[in-house]
Amino acid sequence: MSSLTKIPAGVQYFFDEEVRLRRSVEARAMRVFAGWSYDEIILPMFDYHDLFARGMGVEKAEATYRFVDRDGALLALRPELTSLVARTVATRFLKRARPVRLCYSGEVFRYDDPTERAAREFHQLGVEHIGEPDVVADVEVLLVAAEVLSALGLDDFRIALSHVDFFSGVAGFLGLDDAQRSELRALIDRRNSLALAEFLQKVAAHIEPERRNDFCRLTQIAGKEGAIERAREILLNEKSRAAVEHLGRIYGTLTELGLRDNFDIDLGDTGGQEYYTGLVFKVFVPELGVEIGSGGRYDNLIANFGQAEPAVGFSFALDGLVSAIGKRQSAHAPQTAESAQAISVNGDLVAAFAAARAQRAQQKQVKISAK
Amino acid sequence: MPNNQLTIALSKGRMQDDALAMFARAGIVVEESELKSRKLIIHSADGRYAFILVKPGDVPTYVEYGVADAGICGRDVLLESQADVHEPLDLKFGYCRIAVAGKRELMGQDYNLLATVRVATKYKRIASEYFQQKGVPIEVIPLSGSVELAPLIGLSDRIVDLVETGRTLKENGLDVIEVITESTARLVVNRASFHLKRQEVGSLIAQLTDILEKERENAKHA
Repeated sequence: MSSLTKIPAGVQYFFDEEVRLRRSVEARAMRVFAGWSYDEIILPMFDYHDLFARGMGVEKAEATYRFVDRDGALLALRPELTSLVARTVATRFLKRARPVRLCYSGEVFRYDDPTERAAREFHQLGVEHIGEPDVVADVEVLLVAAEVLSALGLDDFRIALSHVDFFSGVAGFLGLDDAQRSELRALIDRRNSLALAEFLQKVAAHIEPERRNDFCRLTQIAGKEGAIERAREILLNEKSRAAVEHLGRIYGTLTELGLRDNFDIDLGDTGGQEYYTGLVFKVFVPELGVEIGSGGRYDNLIANFGQAEPAVGFSFALDGLVSAIGKRQSAHAPQTAESAQAISVNGDLVAAFAAARAQRAQQKQVKISAK
Repeated sequence: MPNNQLTIALSKGRMQDDALAMFARAGIVVEESELKSRKLIIHSADGRYAFILVKPGDVPTYVEYGVADAGICGRDVLLESQADVHEPLDLKFGYCRIAVAGKRELMGQDYNLLATVRVATKYKRIASEYFQQKGVPIEVIPLSGSVELAPLIGLSDRIVDLVETGRTLKENGLDVIEVITESTARLVVNRASFHLKRQEVGSLIAQLTDILEKERENAKHA
């Protein structure tokens, strides 16, 4: 086995055009973050395994590259960045005024089966907005995400909004146990309305069939403000109603800002990740069959590291953004390297390098030729 | 750029015929000349749908990666691939069972008598998960066809395979031992297309739901 040509599955090398494109996408996104007063935070590549388990949950922390510190403590390469931010805010930023706005750009590492998912190492760009419980912060981060996409020329993006309390309100109202709850979640997630109807017939026989059918239709297809109105008519529990009202306020604001086409209400998104507590959203662009970014509110996460604080944030996959832009060549001139005039040394080292230094003093690109 | 055509991946073979017949009943017609051609991409007469014809096991892959907006494939294939897609409709056709089968004379034997059961199958994941849940240690022998042969020539103790009528099994001296699950054709939809082509996907689901309801009514009256 030749170790010179072999590379571990799931790692990536970038060069030429792709590096320039990645760096430019990253810079443009970070400029937008800075424009909304998000300060960049640079986070460590690894930390205690326990920190990640405490943050995003044991299950996610299991999918990490782990190794042992000199004192025997278990370390892990970072599988995500939010836990690291949350811990920092809960400890080092304790005395700072709220809200705290932070943004980051960095690689994360997941110990996945590389035959199942292509990359085990990937780059995330994101923001966290901490200390404000309100719709204001929710709308703000959505607008930041929208501006990043526009700044990258991906104007026909679609962001699907949902709220975890819509689902948990219904599950609680129906008095579902854990197994039933995850079955309901899976049925809604697969958008299988027929199987969902059958399931509801079993667990919600006391609710009139018409209302049950409306619920199936509501979760099967994403919609606009109409989805909120229909939800209002169907829902019987306070928790879900409050969730839908909250979405309605966000959606109304976005509509008035002229962003209606870019946003959908998708009550079929049950917010799969456990740490989400409110708004959840997913970002799509036509070039890619998978989501390019996602985010939401996680008001309980920071409590794992200190006192409870509301927080909302999102992250984009840099690889997704880059490949979407790559497929849209026409929208962006290729990012070519500056072309430099070669300076021949021709036996006179001093003359050649003096000329080069003079050009560099004017910020010009130079290229030395030995001949 | 935002193109309104829906690309649908179909499993080549019988499921393709059944699927296209169902589309025709829903008013989505493919011309005879297209059907008879050997093209791997065919279009509906109204140009709203493009059908790509692929190997059955590949349908979830095409849909998951979004090169097809939707697809039709058996539940067996979905279970095996674990693709991350929406699955809005059970189209009811293409019924079959996924079953454990073995040689008739070994039928009475309990699993515990076989230390590690050798199981030949096309369904590696379904087979491993099923036996794992039962606590039976197995060795999966992956095959891609003529799975019934394996127990006959001593390659495996059992097979896990699709059973439609059971005739192939019978003629080879095999019997169904346990049914793992049942399978029918499913409509699957890519997660991004679900949002980006909401109108088109929505009307496709509505049209097919309509046909399914009509057929259920007819079955009731028949």
